[in-house]
Amino acid sequence: MIRKGKGIGCMWYPIGFTVAANPSAATVKVNEDGTATLLTGTVETGQGSLTVLGQIAAEELGISTEDVHVVSADTDATPMDTGAIASRTTYVTGNAIKLAAEKAKEILFEVAAPMLNVKPSQLEAADRKVQVKGFPQRFLPIDEVALQAQFVQGQPPIGSASYNPPTVDMDPETGQGKPFSTYVYATQIAEVEVDDETGDVNVTYMAAAHDCGTAINPMLVEGQIQGGISMGIGFALQEEMLFDEKGVQINPNLTNYIMPTSLDMPDIDVDIVENFDPTGPFGAKGVGEPTAVPTAAAICNAIYDAVGVRITSLPATAEKVLALIKEKNEKDIKQLSPAE
Amino acid sequence: MDVELIINGEEKTASIPPETTLLKLLREEFYLTGAKTGCDVGDCGACTVLVDGEAVNSCLMLAGQLQGRSVETIEGLANLEDFHPLQKNFEDLGSLQCGFCGPGMILSAKQLLEENPEPTKQEIQDAIAGNLCRCTGYTKIVEAVADAAKEMREEP
Amino acid sequence: MVDKVKVKERESTLEELREVNDDLRLPSVPEKVSFPIDVVTPEARTQTPAVGQRASRPDGRMHGLGQTKYIDDMSFPGMIYAKIKRAGVAKARIKKIDLSEAEKMPGVMATLIGSEIPVNSFGPSYQDQPIIADKLIYHAGDPVAAVAATTEQLAADALEKIKIEYEQLEPIFDPIEAMKESAPEVHPGQGNIYSSKIIQKGDVDKGFKDSYRTYENTFSTQMVEHVPMEPHASIAEWDANGRVIIHSSLGRITLGRADIARTLDMPINRIRVVATVVGGNFGGKNEITTEPILALLSRKTGRPVKGIYTREDEFMSSTTRHPFIMDYKTGVSEEGKIISRKVRLVCDGGAYCSWSETTLGKACILSAGPYNIENLYVEAYAVYTNKTMTGAMRGFGAPQVCFAYESHMDDIARDLDIDPLQIRRINAFHEGSASPTGQVLQSVVVKDSLDVAADRFGWEEWQK
Repeated sequence: MIRKGKGIGCMWYPIGFTVAANPSAATVKVNEDGTATLLTGTVETGQGSLTVLGQIAAEELGISTEDVHVVSADTDATPMDTGAIASRTTYVTGNAIKLAAEKAKEILFEVAAPMLNVKPSQLEAADRKVQVKGFPQRFLPIDEVALQAQFVQGQPPIGSASYNPPTVDMDPETGQGKPFSTYVYATQIAEVEVDDETGDVNVTYMAAAHDCGTAINPMLVEGQIQGGISMGIGFALQEEMLFDEKGVQINPNLTNYIMPTSLDMPDIDVDIVENFDPTGPFGAKGVGEPTAVPTAAAICNAIYDAVGVRITSLPATAEKVLALIKEKNEKDIKQLSPAE
Repeated sequence: MDVELIINGEEKTASIPPETTLLKLLREEFYLTGAKTGCDVGDCGACTVLVDGEAVNSCLMLAGQLQGRSVETIEGLANLEDFHPLQKNFEDLGSLQCGFCGPGMILSAKQLLEENPEPTKQEIQDAIAGNLCRCTGYTKIVEAVADAAKEMREEP
Repeated sequence: MVDKVKVKERESTLEELREVNDDLRLPSVPEKVSFPIDVVTPEARTQTPAVGQRASRPDGRMHGLGQTKYIDDMSFPGMIYAKIKRAGVAKARIKKIDLSEAEKMPGVMATLIGSEIPVNSFGPSYQDQPIIADKLIYHAGDPVAAVAATTEQLAADALEKIKIEYEQLEPIFDPIEAMKESAPEVHPGQGNIYSSKIIQKGDVDKGFKDSYRTYENTFSTQMVEHVPMEPHASIAEWDANGRVIIHSSLGRITLGRADIARTLDMPINRIRVVATVVGGNFGGKNEITTEPILALLSRKTGRPVKGIYTREDEFMSSTTRHPFIMDYKTGVSEEGKIISRKVRLVCDGGAYCSWSETTLGKACILSAGPYNIENLYVEAYAVYTNKTMTGAMRGFGAPQVCFAYESHMDDIARDLDIDPLQIRRINAFHEGSASPTGQVLQSVVVKDSLDVAADRFGWEEWQK
């Protein structure tokens, strides 16, 4: 018989390396038509990091994402970056890019200020314009300013900067310290159906509420969460590298190493928890890894809720769940029968 | 051995060793690298192409079996007029992340939509069950296929 | 001034060229692929402000059109292919490697063994991993030799001709067994426990005494592969100036370059690492794998050398997620407030350290969960075993400890007859909470995330 259950998994997760320096550097060049080119040493590994980093540069320069071209991942051409690891790209590389774009913007403001008869500090960049704060009717199109900067003033608007999250060493005996600059938080709640005759677990629904600070691109955040959940489902129910007694892996292929397919995926509702981290670029933190963290916990708690067995070793394969159900049933029967 | 076949509407010939798979033929003889080598044994679906309209794992098919048949790859899907609605909707929803599974995924979906213009969510999940994706959790892929189906019904 | 006549002439020439009879084409002429003349830019990409927009990815369009060029989609004139021979035994001493049969095969251009690598060790924390095993085998997926040949198939065939004599040594696979003093050492001369961490806050023993009830349980997790859909891939080309260009699926090019420079004993500026769009990483492509091997094979042959992992290589020889064994003991008040917690973590580090140091550290800090706990003691150990090395994988130990602390939490809630949502609310961090390491936390939204998820799920109303 199919039994339903619900379970919670709640977690916290840090952004960046543990104490160790993990800097990023970036260069932002504003071209003479007001578009920009961004140089970063990070690598696009599928998360959409380059899109997000482009959005951060665009926001700082008051232009659109489309106006920014991102050049990445060439050690001869792009600045140092610790890379796509530790959920650090949006936060660390993003901060470096924001600082670099700020420097390029300062040049634009210096050039625009006398043209608008104000001080540079009175200016802001928005909607592809350099405009006077509190008086947006007084503006210059950014392309005009960029052209003036480059070809009349001889000051190409370019900025380079780096960022490294501030940490404090951990005490070797007590572990006390500030290992990370910031953390994110999340809760996933799973609904499962367990067949108590076969032990088969089917995840039917997942509600996922994740904090990532400001979501620079909510669509990509959703994609990360949905993908993390699929990896979490594999971890919870299916995936395991198996070795023979000689230590040779017996399932080094996708025929026998089972990972989630489209058929294993539940309906997922994603909520991005409203938050703003003052240390992140535009309040952003990160989202990559944490999405895969609470899923297995939520599923295993839902299995307990459904059939009353506690999974203590992953993965919760049908065989394992069924064995636990049988064990529990025998125990229940013993408790019912009178003592011998 | 020689093989004559139609690839993306164009007649092609190639001289190849008999053990050449369709995947190798496409990638190495014709530089059509849209079909990917993910496992080379038919588990992952990254090499999916359409042969006479049917989605197949091209790593499992010998090029010799293709004599006189018609192959469609991802490169044949976009033309001067417009992107295929699947490609457009995959892009709009951010359905692909690393993108490695994308060409195979889109071709499996194309076969589905040609046979079933109004698929349910379950039918879409069934159609792409042979295409593994590690990044996306398939959620936005299924949504994009549903959106593309709707678009194709409205503007055939 | 544009000379219109000349432009027209040129266009007609191109037209003529396009009309060349297709049958006469060489088979290797790249396909002509047509794309829309007017590319429509999605609205979200054109808007300012840019932050918060659901801007589509520029690479997303390329992916859907099959236009993204991953490493395996690239080729260079004269390129040859490398394959790696793997040990197939978990622990052994290499007595003899005979490459002569392989080298005689037609199409085989070069071979490489560990002793030819200038500095044959690497690793992000400790340099305990050989590029190619030269003396000892530490796990069955260890590379023992490499072959470069004119086709992939020839290179694979040549691997079969390599003869290696091993002296079998006693392996150890269970991390708890490996911690014992009597256990055979994975790396001779070094203990099997290669990293340990402690976090201590308050007084756990007093905390347990003050508790209403205490609970204990042990949890364990398995070894998991990243399974990026694109296997590890690189192409190396050594040029006449002694510079090497490496196209690689690395997710961390700067540190990858430093490792390559170190193993090749070359100045960093002679190495250029170019990454394309990586076909999935998840932590598995953060370290070098075959890059130095391909570079040396390229130097030997003067050819660009491509090396693509098979799916089997990917499983046997890339990093994986650490199996953990986690002992939890927790004391709580009658209301469900956690008073004291003691945690012991053992992580099976496999044959090499890789990112175990970091994984252990993160797991240690996170193992208490997002909860306020006055009295906490966590001890954690990373242990060598003769299995595939474990390394960075999405979450660095966090999914393992989260499975443990959240399962444990539900057991406590059930025993105390408190709603699982409620017990988490009672204990959750709030703005300004002190973390297990004493850090004052900011922008904390644990309770918000619980409430938002519970509302969305319909936690209260939900029925079986």
